Amino acid sequence: MKKFSALIKKEWHTHGSIVLVPIWITLGFYFLLLISFGFAYFKGDFNLQLAEIQAQIKFPAINYYVNVGSVFMPGLMSLLFIIIFMQSALNEDIQKNCELFHRSQPISIWLRSFSKFIFGLMSNWLVFLMLVILNFIIINIILAFFNQLSFYPAFFGMFQMSVKYLKTGLIFGSIAFFCSAIFKDKAVFQGFAILVGINFLFLILNVMFKWNLPLPWNYFVNLIKNPGMEVLDAEADLWQTKQFIRNNWNAILWNWKTLLQIIVSGSLFVISTYIHKNKEIK
Amino acid sequence: MNDNYISINNISKYYGKFRALKNIDLNITKGKIIGLLGKNGAGKSTLMRCMLGFLNYSGEIEIMGRSVKNHREKLHDHIAFIPDVNCLDDRLTVQQTIDYVSALNDSWNQKKAERLLQNSKLPLKRKVARLSKGMKTKLYLLITLSLEVDILLLDEPTLGLDIVFRKEFFNTILGEFFNEEKTILISTHQVEEVEHILQEIIFIDDGEIILQKDVEELKDEYAIFTLPSERRSELEIHQPNVINSTLGNVSALLKRDIEIPEAKLSRPVLSDIFIEKVGGKNEEI
Repeated sequence: MKKFSALIKKEWHTHGSIVLVPIWITLGFYFLLLISFGFAYFKGDFNLQLAEIQAQIKFPAINYYVNVGSVFMPGLMSLLFIIIFMQSALNEDIQKNCELFHRSQPISIWLRSFSKFIFGLMSNWLVFLMLVILNFIIINIILAFFNQLSFYPAFFGMFQMSVKYLKTGLIFGSIAFFCSAIFKDKAVFQGFAILVGINFLFLILNVMFKWNLPLPWNYFVNLIKNPGMEVLDAEADLWQTKQFIRNNWNAILWNWKTLLQIIVSGSLFVISTYIHKNKEIK
Repeated sequence: MNDNYISINNISKYYGKFRALKNIDLNITKGKIIGLLGKNGAGKSTLMRCMLGFLNYSGEIEIMGRSVKNHREKLHDHIAFIPDVNCLDDRLTVQQTIDYVSALNDSWNQKKAERLLQNSKLPLKRKVARLSKGMKTKLYLLITLSLEVDILLLDEPTLGLDIVFRKEFFNTILGEFFNEEKTILISTHQVEEVEHILQEIIFIDDGEIILQKDVEELKDEYAIFTLPSERRSELEIHQPNVINSTLGNVSALLKRDIEIPEAKLSRPVLSDIFIEKVGGKNEEI
């Protein structure tokens, strides 16, 4: 455990600043928002129809979907940064000419690789969840201010969407990690180019020779895609909303696709580490 | 376990079609400082990296009775390795590097590390990227010599360092690391730097071991024969690889037991023997 925490610490020391970038972007966004609100307020352009909003009834669906939407930006940033981090997880030390130094330590390559995999996912997930909670607090304070907050659908809107992004991050991260074991530079770009290339080749072959070769792109999209979620009626009451949220867990988490995604991620980790282990350090 | 710390049996290494090591057999015993001497591209680094399990090879290497292929990670508990010091992780600070190595190595000696750190005056908060090459060498020495290991492999560690740091480097290793239970293998092509500390020498050329011998025995075996220039033919009869001409004289390295009347004999240094054995076969010396 001491060795594993030393490896995690090393990852933090070498990549901590990249992991924190989404936090700075979000804080910057809120700062600019505050400035523009302040500017509008002092110019007299800040005109909210408070009385009109307060007069309306509470819609649980609005609470649910507003909080689903609040996850979008942190989710997008999280996916982007997971890819950026993971695509250099196994090749960066080689690029930076320090692989020899790390390989000279009496530590299993599997453990070292696992520390990179875990750090890449966990650190990005942690930052993502922090930002999601920050957005949740801010948005729901505003909803509460207008007497529109319905906590249960608001919380589960945020929570269910976050789980979807975490799962997508797991798949994207594992694929980028796999690419980092194969390619030395711009790993995801190269991996993506090869996937698209093979897809086109198969497509052409299928059309030319009337073959039925499976298209890898379809498998890739199918792996990432979540089974269809239901749509919550805009005028659903709280009881219907709770029912909807309960049913939605099956579409989001408790299904065979989730198990498949975990198995694929685990397999990609094992294959990537095996490839990396057998790479020669010249 | 016998006295052989490192046993190399019939190893070969290919880079594509290029054969970098050719059926090498080698035994290295404990308690010795051994020089691995060869020209650039002779196979020194390749051999060392095979010993550490960084490269795939055919044949068998055993270190302290354990196969490198099967026990790579375990063996690093017993071996420290200093390649070119530029392979430290530039993104870490000095303190982070020390903490990282100390946490990963069970053989870390904290007291020794503190003492070495005190003497080194390394700036703990500075990133490795911002250290001078001399400072990096000090840091590499600190983290390596603080490990209680049995074997130290040095692969051209002083490349690019000035003479002061080079001397300090080898003196520190001698003073802080070496005893009769430990083995040091130094790969270099600057033999004059380490000649005074070496007990055994291995010459490698073109991927082959061409000589492995005790340094003093080797120097006793050969002598530099010097004659006036007009007697050059008397040296040429013995077919030395290299004949040097200086100030009206010619000299060549020959077996000491050869008799040439009135020849001046002097004791060779390792570079003389190396040039005789290896030089002349290739362009670069």
